Amino acid sequence: MAENTKKSSGAMILLAWLIVGIPLGWGVYNTLLSSMKLFQAPPAQITTPASPVK
Amino acid sequence: MAFLSFLDREKSIAHPGYSRWLVPPAALAIHLCIGQAYAFSVFKIPLTRLLGITKSLPDDWSQSQLAWIFSLAIVMLGLSAATFGKWLEAAGPRKAMFASAVCFALGFYISYFGVVWHQLWIIYLGYGVIGGIGLGLGYISPVSTLIKWFPDRPGLATGMAIMGFGGGAMIGSPLSIKLMAYFHTATDVGVGKTFLAMGTLYFLLMMFGVFTVRVVPHGWKPDNWTPPVKQQALVTSHNVEVNTAFRTPQFWLLWIILCMNVTAGIGILEQASPMIQELFKGAIGPVAAGGFVGLLSLFNMGGRFFWSATSDYIGRKPTYFIFLALGAVLYFFLPQTGGNHLNSVKLFVAISAVLLSMYGGGFATIPAYLRDLFGTYHVSAIHGRLLTAWSVAGVLGPVLVNYMREYRIAHGAEKASAYQTVLLVMAGLLVVGFIANLLVRPVDPKYWMPDQKDGA
Repeated sequence: MAENTKKSSGAMILLAWLIVGIPLGWGVYNTLLSSMKLFQAPPAQITTPASPVK
Repeated sequence: MAFLSFLDREKSIAHPGYSRWLVPPAALAIHLCIGQAYAFSVFKIPLTRLLGITKSLPDDWSQSQLAWIFSLAIVMLGLSAATFGKWLEAAGPRKAMFASAVCFALGFYISYFGVVWHQLWIIYLGYGVIGGIGLGLGYISPVSTLIKWFPDRPGLATGMAIMGFGGGAMIGSPLSIKLMAYFHTATDVGVGKTFLAMGTLYFLLMMFGVFTVRVVPHGWKPDNWTPPVKQQALVTSHNVEVNTAFRTPQFWLLWIILCMNVTAGIGILEQASPMIQELFKGAIGPVAAGGFVGLLSLFNMGGRFFWSATSDYIGRKPTYFIFLALGAVLYFFLPQTGGNHLNSVKLFVAISAVLLSMYGGGFATIPAYLRDLFGTYHVSAIHGRLLTAWSVAGVLGPVLVNYMREYRIAHGAEKASAYQTVLLVMAGLLVVGFIANLLVRPVDPKYWMPDQKDGA
């Protein structure tokens, strides 16, 4: 019986990465959108130190 | 059952020419799915309104009752990883991934009935116990295979997979919210049907992993790569059997390192939103705090890939020295960035992000550290047992943070300054981990398996 020595095609490797990459990219995009809210917050108020750290 | 024979290890041996770059996507498919566990909290509010729909009724479940679902799942993750690791090594990754997919999907399907019949114990059994077994099996299933496919870059390989566990929550959270919105009606919050849909979607993606994963053929090695003739002191070319490894000091030192690193990381994760709001009172509100939590998730995921890949160049022990020494310094300094000291949100966020990257890095680099010390023969099984450190840290971290903070507040401390003690204790835990890392030495040859070299 001839041994199967067929090389994996580049297209197949790309497809495999897309199958996992697309949902992961979607999740990262959603999280990035969510984390933007931190940078859209109003600037921190300048407060006087309440008391020295003991 | 003959129709399941395709799951046999022998049937999953790669043919010559099979690209090793197909194996990480297979592993990622599993980890991206089971990582959903970290997003389970999005179901908590809807599950408290199954009867009242718009508000909780007295007969609805409370949040504290629901918290047990996630806790059970994480405990079962540790237990199943520790129990089934040795079976996995013999059965092969494909069978273990398949079992993981069946358990994980079944957990969702069983929980659907818990929602429909309003029986909480059914959800404990479904998502908590059966789904939790799926988590443990899935978490360790690709580790050994990846390490054998990437003998030149074991840190990078396992980092890619374990990064998926961090990314899984990022997919699970918005997916659950969108599905619940789609299935929501005037008489149904949509959780049950969301469970059915997610069970099916995740099962399909995990099947991609099952069909794609391949075991490395005997004697295979990467093109243009020859095993180093002279190994680094901490990298062995011998193997240690899982039950033997369990008895070595190295196993327990790594157990302590992982436990301390995870406990300290959970200290921030658990309190991220209230901590930033209380340290920067009046400047950071709940919406911005939500953004902070999202940012930490990104660094948690990115750190898994970055640090584990870096460890291939600088070595595992130095990598953990960075986590534990730099981590201790940063935890010590973190409270000083607060509103009543330096008052720098940017510095607080930057330090927290670095700390969370090292928390993720600690998870992702540990399989390669195990491979260095114990060889590849039983690395998944040993990793499975080591994950009990995660189960312990999962309880220890939140308990330490919550009780110490409440104790300080009860004794007159301001909310913001109460965090100082908590974070100092976290720094102390990392010092304990640092000492454990310092004590790690090569495994005594008396523990080696006879006539078993790597790849044998």
